[in-house]
Amino acid sequence: MGSDGGGGAEQVGLYVEGVAKSYPGVRALKGVNLSVKRGSIHALVGQNGAGKSTLVKILSGAEAPDEGSISVGGVPTRFRGPTDAQRAGVHTIYQELSLVPTLSVAENIFLGQLPTRAGGRVDWEAMRDLATDALARVGFGFDVRRLVSSLSGAEQQGVELAKALHKNARVLLLDEPTSTLPRPDVARLFVVLRKLADEGVTLLFISHRMDEVYALCDAVTVLRDGAVAADMMTTDITPSDIVTAMVGKSLEGTIADAALRGERSPHLGAGPSDEVLMSVRGLSAGSAVCDVTFDLHRGEVLGLAGLVGSGQSELASLLAGARRKTGGVMTFHSEIVSFANPRDAIRRGIGLLPQDRKAQGFVPEMNVAGNVTLASLSLFSRFGVIKGAQERSSASEMVARLGMKVSSINQPMKTLSGGTQQKGILARWLVRSSQLLICDEPTRGVDVGAKEDMYELIRDFARSGGTVIIASSETSEAMMCDRVLVMARGAIVAEFDHDGIDPQGKVLLESFA
Amino acid sequence: MTHKVPEASAAKVARPHEAATAKERSGALVKRLLPGSYLLIVLLLIIIAGSYMSPDFMTPRNAQNVIAAASIVAVMAIGQFFVVLTGGIDLSVGSVLAMSTVIAALTLQSGMSAGLSAGVTLACCAAAGLFNGVLVVLLKLAPFIATLATMSAIKGLSYIIQSTSLIQISNDSFIDAFSRGTSFAVRNPVLIFIAVTVVGALIAKFSTFGRSLYAIGGNPEAARLSGLPVNRNLLITYMISGLLAGLAGLIAAAQLRQGSSLIGVGYELDAIAAVVVGGASLFGGKGNPISAVVGVFILAIIVNVMNLLGISSEPQLVIKGLVIIIAVFLSSAGGVQRISEFGKRHFRSNPAVGGLGSLGVGR
Repeated sequence: MGSDGGGGAEQVGLYVEGVAKSYPGVRALKGVNLSVKRGSIHALVGQNGAGKSTLVKILSGAEAPDEGSISVGGVPTRFRGPTDAQRAGVHTIYQELSLVPTLSVAENIFLGQLPTRAGGRVDWEAMRDLATDALARVGFGFDVRRLVSSLSGAEQQGVELAKALHKNARVLLLDEPTSTLPRPDVARLFVVLRKLADEGVTLLFISHRMDEVYALCDAVTVLRDGAVAADMMTTDITPSDIVTAMVGKSLEGTIADAALRGERSPHLGAGPSDEVLMSVRGLSAGSAVCDVTFDLHRGEVLGLAGLVGSGQSELASLLAGARRKTGGVMTFHSEIVSFANPRDAIRRGIGLLPQDRKAQGFVPEMNVAGNVTLASLSLFSRFGVIKGAQERSSASEMVARLGMKVSSINQPMKTLSGGTQQKGILARWLVRSSQLLICDEPTRGVDVGAKEDMYELIRDFARSGGTVIIASSETSEAMMCDRVLVMARGAIVAEFDHDGIDPQGKVLLESFA
Repeated sequence: MTHKVPEASAAKVARPHEAATAKERSGALVKRLLPGSYLLIVLLLIIIAGSYMSPDFMTPRNAQNVIAAASIVAVMAIGQFFVVLTGGIDLSVGSVLAMSTVIAALTLQSGMSAGLSAGVTLACCAAAGLFNGVLVVLLKLAPFIATLATMSAIKGLSYIIQSTSLIQISNDSFIDAFSRGTSFAVRNPVLIFIAVTVVGALIAKFSTFGRSLYAIGGNPEAARLSGLPVNRNLLITYMISGLLAGLAGLIAAAQLRQGSSLIGVGYELDAIAAVVVGGASLFGGKGNPISAVVGVFILAIIVNVMNLLGISSEPQLVIKGLVIIIAVFLSSAGGVQRISEFGKRHFRSNPAVGGLGSLGVGR
């Protein structure tokens, strides 16, 4: 069932037929067909590894398909590179944005094509006027002479959009555009996107947020294992069906399913005990964390929620000894503590699952066993010599217990999937029986199936007496905790109990901005 | 052995709690210590090529010469390996070697015993290494810059201490210990470098210190967040590099029977080249000491063959440079993989035409 409503080829904004792409050892795309009606907003969803990013790379001209064809506005084209794609009118707005922070808005919009007067001199006035017009088309009115680095995330995204439109984009691919935007900006972005669609621009919206897909998009294509698993109008398919298509089996009733559908999340914790494990008073770290005060009870699952950049990550690092505090007092088991480095915190039984596992979490060339015992070398050695057999047996035990998909414990960590890597880092703390787990964005970049496993592991840990702090920008995860502290601009601005949050998490979202 | 060991390791994973037999264990041990087989194949090929190209190559005398010269660089290369493993580099080792010869010669001349002299020299060189470590760890200077600076400073210092054109060494027990003498029918310098290599390999593979260096080089932030003593271990690593450069200097001083600040120029590049030819990545986190030593020998033999063929020193430098480029491209830069991918992409067999790219298929 395609989403193009008949009519001539001009009605089809983007047409992809039989596109296949293989990399050494893996068939990333196996004959994908996609038809997007001109002027519609089409969602593209799928798990990591389903082929989304490969398809985006092909559509944006960064990679060439092994087989298949692409037509833009009814005209078959072949992209030899991103410039070709842009000339054909296909522009991609990536999550990380591709602006130069040290240049002005106008210079960014005209990057590489500055308007010139006779003799090759830059026509600053014309550039300013044209840039202001381009910006107005996407609903923004700020001074185009400002440096991009001074703009907010939403404003920068606006510049990126203006840049694409100025180059006469006919097809816009948006890769996870809302992950760093506060709610009001998301709403405004959607208004702009709708307007562009009405003007005839074809939009491909890549996201994992069901509520946004349904709020914005006319149709949705689900990719799974490199092929199209579903291709329907959003009015004809339910969120559950989308999730089932993404995963290949029904997840109804699981924690992850509820989280994906943005519904009432099950409770991860077993409820806090009366014993206070850790308490902080007036904790600060520069301007990133301001005057934070709260108590943490043993057995509790505490959520730190907020938009990306609100301070949850920084607070998590602070509590785990990874960041220096500039003020305030922290007590652990009623003793005043001051962590000069992560080692101090680790010794007291605190373990951190960092936000960026690639940059902070694991040693890529080292094998699974080595990564799992990295924080416990003294437990696995005698007189400085590592006890190989003991290390291997503990690692094997962890692999089995956490359901890690590895062919051997000697496999280098970098070859594993995101979810398995995350479990490996979790194993690092379980292996030394840590009592407090601080998880910073625990399921970022992790597939639905592995997400489920992570939530279960966290639940098991909490139910066997462990304490957990989850810092997350996903409201669904925050809603799984016993208690949620909402952070904004480094300070705690609200506190909610699990039962005090409505099923859609509206009270949380409203307190974010 | 290569056929037996995979079974042993497979058996270990399947039945982790059964005790492996002693034979299985020692077989596995040797296998884990050996470098990648391709490196040994290259070494073998070069030896075969050398014996072809020059009749004097495979003589005991020539072998002795090669090993004697290689011993010095090999000892330095082990120290350099550990520094490179952490993602750093030590450009000062050549100068430390020079300083070592000067201090040894001076202390011997002043009447100190061989043992005490060696001890004082090594202590000074370790201190120099520690100084490098302080610059890198506490002042947070990039290792390249820090050791480039100390390379210059230490050389100057050696020259100042030296004050004369060169200092003769005539202490027999010193010369015996580090050059002439033999123990267990093996020349002492060879014994020293073998001992250093074995200890280095054991530390790298089986000690918590070695494991922490792999982590620090592979992902320093992950190492820090796992509670590893990053700063302390980096300081120790630079100290080891200085110490081993000093030990190499003792051997050099005994061989040349003199101490001079002019000895050892360019040795740091030999050590670094050997480490990289041996497959270590300059970004850190990869490699092993034995491969570094194999790298030393590969380069030393190539130089030796060029000498025997009478190639003068300037063309030798050009050839040496080319060898390093090729070797590093193949090993550390993943050249072997890139070449095979290139071959696959441009010479993929087309069912209509059949066969390889010589028919112009594939673009």
